[in-house]
Amino acid sequence: MIIPNLSWILLLPMLGLSFVCLVPADKTSLIRRISSGTILLPFILSVWVYAAYDHVAGGFQFVQNVPWVVPLGISYHLGVDGINSLLLLLLGAASFAAVLVSASIKKRVKEYYILLLITIIGTYGAFLSLDIFFFYFFHEVAAVPVFLMIAIWGSERREFAAMKLTLFLVAGAAIALIGLLALYLATGIQTFDLVQIQQYLTNYPLPVNVQNWIFPLIVVGFGITLTLWPFYTWAPVGYAEAPTAISMLHAGVLKKMGAYAIIRFAIQLMPQAAHLWMPIIAGLAIVNIIYCGLVALTQRDLKYILGYSSCSHMGYILLGLACFNTIGLNGVVYLMFAHGIMVALAFALTGFVVDQTKTRHLDELGGLLKCMPFIGTCFMMAVLASAGVPGFANFIAEVLVLLGSWDQYRWLTVLAIFGLVITAIYLLKAVRLGFQGPLNPRFAQLADAQTLSAKFPYVMLLALLIIVGCLPSIILTHIGSSTKTIVKSMQ
Amino acid sequence: MNTVIGSTMFPIINWSLVSLEVLISIALVFLVAVDIALPKNAGKDWIGIFSFIALFGLIIFWSTQGALHGVTFSGMFVMDSLAWFFKGFFLITMVFVFAMTQQFFKSLGERRNEFYLLLWLALIGMCLVASSADFLLMFISIEILTISLYVMTAYLKSDKLSIEAGMKYLILGALASGFFLYGISFIYGTTHSTHFDVIQGYVSTHAMAPMTLFALILIFAAVGFKIAAVPFHMWVADVYQGAPTPVTALLSVGSKAAGFIVLIRLFFDVFGAWHAQWNLVLAVLSAITMTYGNLVAMFQTNIKRLLGYSSISHAGYLLMGAAAGSVLGASGINFYLLGYLFTNLAAFLVIIVFSITAKSDEIADYAGLSQRSGLLACTMLLALVSLAGMPPLAGFFGKFTLLMAVIKSGYVWLALIAGVNIVISLYYYLMVVKRIYVDSPRAASPIAVPASMQLLLGLAIIGIVVIGIFQGPFLDAAMTAVKGMYLAHP
Repeated sequence: MIIPNLSWILLLPMLGLSFVCLVPADKTSLIRRISSGTILLPFILSVWVYAAYDHVAGGFQFVQNVPWVVPLGISYHLGVDGINSLLLLLLGAASFAAVLVSASIKKRVKEYYILLLITIIGTYGAFLSLDIFFFYFFHEVAAVPVFLMIAIWGSERREFAAMKLTLFLVAGAAIALIGLLALYLATGIQTFDLVQIQQYLTNYPLPVNVQNWIFPLIVVGFGITLTLWPFYTWAPVGYAEAPTAISMLHAGVLKKMGAYAIIRFAIQLMPQAAHLWMPIIAGLAIVNIIYCGLVALTQRDLKYILGYSSCSHMGYILLGLACFNTIGLNGVVYLMFAHGIMVALAFALTGFVVDQTKTRHLDELGGLLKCMPFIGTCFMMAVLASAGVPGFANFIAEVLVLLGSWDQYRWLTVLAIFGLVITAIYLLKAVRLGFQGPLNPRFAQLADAQTLSAKFPYVMLLALLIIVGCLPSIILTHIGSSTKTIVKSMQ
Repeated sequence: MNTVIGSTMFPIINWSLVSLEVLISIALVFLVAVDIALPKNAGKDWIGIFSFIALFGLIIFWSTQGALHGVTFSGMFVMDSLAWFFKGFFLITMVFVFAMTQQFFKSLGERRNEFYLLLWLALIGMCLVASSADFLLMFISIEILTISLYVMTAYLKSDKLSIEAGMKYLILGALASGFFLYGISFIYGTTHSTHFDVIQGYVSTHAMAPMTLFALILIFAAVGFKIAAVPFHMWVADVYQGAPTPVTALLSVGSKAAGFIVLIRLFFDVFGAWHAQWNLVLAVLSAITMTYGNLVAMFQTNIKRLLGYSSISHAGYLLMGAAAGSVLGASGINFYLLGYLFTNLAAFLVIIVFSITAKSDEIADYAGLSQRSGLLACTMLLALVSLAGMPPLAGFFGKFTLLMAVIKSGYVWLALIAGVNIVISLYYYLMVVKRIYVDSPRAASPIAVPASMQLLLGLAIIGIVVIGIFQGPFLDAAMTAVKGMYLAHP
């Protein structure tokens, strides 16, 4: 069997990027075609990697390791396990859908696709890297392109939103970087290689007092990316003002890098500190769920509702991270995938609606199901998925997280279940105000997504939600093979 | 001591060690002769053309000198890895500055030739700073550099700002020179020598006395003036704004790097044994410098002033390496400066090309630059983002190494302050980026970029990106420069 070469997932889009740079700016349809192809290829490779990963053997597979900066112990080290192979799949699907819905972008097309491609390449790099330096490196690559994309192609308050989002994320990254450097120096083995650090720390854990001050730096730093309460305020406004593709990618995938980093660098490497700090994080997670949910209830703006909803759902991920058991951690990774696909779908559909109606205010919308039955139906499905209705991936994910947290945090779990009710209320309210009821006559002439290619991104994401929701084993086996070892190292 | 000055015998001079400086001096004398011999209004820019040829020749010559090590001129002059590293640094800087000069002073005609000669003089000064093994030579070479900078700063005789800048720079520079000499006198009084090797021997066997601490602080004040560290930064904003832009570029890169050689040579190496007793001062100054520079830069409306304050903040980041006092810290300084060279010169190239067409340095006039010249906008974007320290650009890895160095030396609080500063600086850099890429242009006319400038802009971009992605070889070079210093680090 041919073994997939992970470097191609990075190199092919880079090649595509350089092609896009060379095409004259007025050949927009060519630019669009190259970009879609450029994003489709790593998606296909990701599917291949996911399928070829041997979950029985477990561990890191398809590993590539090239020394990069020898004096500091930095290496270009790629590899996948059950967790990041799934996240690659998430990124592949979300980014392909994002590129397809970008067809509605009409101004400064070339710059748009260049920035979008850089963002996606950076995210792929972060998920593939098994070197702490390169994880950080790739994860920061996306920051400035996202700023520019929101500031140029966003809606009214785009400049404020872009600056706020970028400064929050970079502040988080800087805090996390100091934590990561302290971790690197504390091990004293002069390597950023995650696998080597893992092995070393299994045998010689860091002193507890050292762990206890490094751990919060990393968790709070990446927690800002993951919209940990009270550092979430950048997200609703950022997602609301961003162009559709960035809302999809950021809410769906980029912020999941925070959770991924917390699993890999904090919980797994410093388990003793995790037992001290994570209960506090679990408490904050409940505030995330309830507080952001209640704020979402008061919103009348469709994208703000989704933005607050996404912050609220990160609470479940944080709660699951605090469980220290396999079932909870499985739920976390499952939810990262399910929520990523769901929120990408919801933002894609909202983007379609906003493009047509030029408004996202629920009081002006109404009855859209009549003029756009396909989009409306998809939106209702996304809402049902988000509210945790069985049959969709989110249901299984949330059940796993709640089962995992039941033993440790009984009262918090009860509150978290209550949070699901809040989710159902604000999302169904959005559906009722936006898609049901009398149709605003202004919108009578609007067209639904008609061609197959226009419907494809939504159908693809929805199909993933349903398939994964009905056949959980196709991803649980992958996740389980990796979470097992992580949980073992925590006991 | 085998190198007594004034002995009846002539000291034996190893000319191969000083060959680079000798060649630079020959080039200077030759160009003076050409300048005199040329008829007025010669039409072609002969001095400029000869300067470029000479510079490229010197770079090739420099690249063959990597293995050269030794001390000569009675222990005054040293050629070691650090000197070699920085001489290359200065030669590359000068390629950019000469090209900037050629564009910027097109209208000056005759007077441009003298400017080239002053640049050559500054180059000799910088190379000698890198090779100083004695306080006297170090003082003289810093003066050669600084005096030529005084003249160049005030070169636009009809421009009030330029004259004001020259005046301010001269007065504060003279004060700094005074501090430096005063500090040297205390050191001489204590150690009975100005030779670095003798002084290091004294330092390693004696404890620091209050008088020597006073001397160190005086010397640091003079260096602080060169690198623009708070509280010796008062001149920066006005001089950066008023000086002709090529001079600003030279001040922000070459002159600052010269200051850091002195810092590495003296405080890391010669006085290294006392480092632990006063590095807290360096750490505190580093924190104050970066915070001050960044906070004030937020409110600037002139791009040269903005880069002036940003250059203060970068002095603060660089001082982290000095505060760390380790090989990693010093190598971090070298690497950071290397990235800073391409990054900052890229920004100044854009400023020069833009100001020739737009006749303005106001940030407001940069609005919509991306629609007037894609190349200029893209270069400025990369330069600013690299200054802010974002991957995959050169500025990121420099900050990364310096942060690592200070955390390793136990200054986690300094690393946290630096982290806050990175966010503050990102704010004002992104405000400029926003002007360039988001706002609509005030004038629709495209900006023409001359071919020579396109070449240099491309070179600067390649430098920024290659150093940012393939960090290994450059970090190796930066480390070799520190590890191969002629006096072993204590």
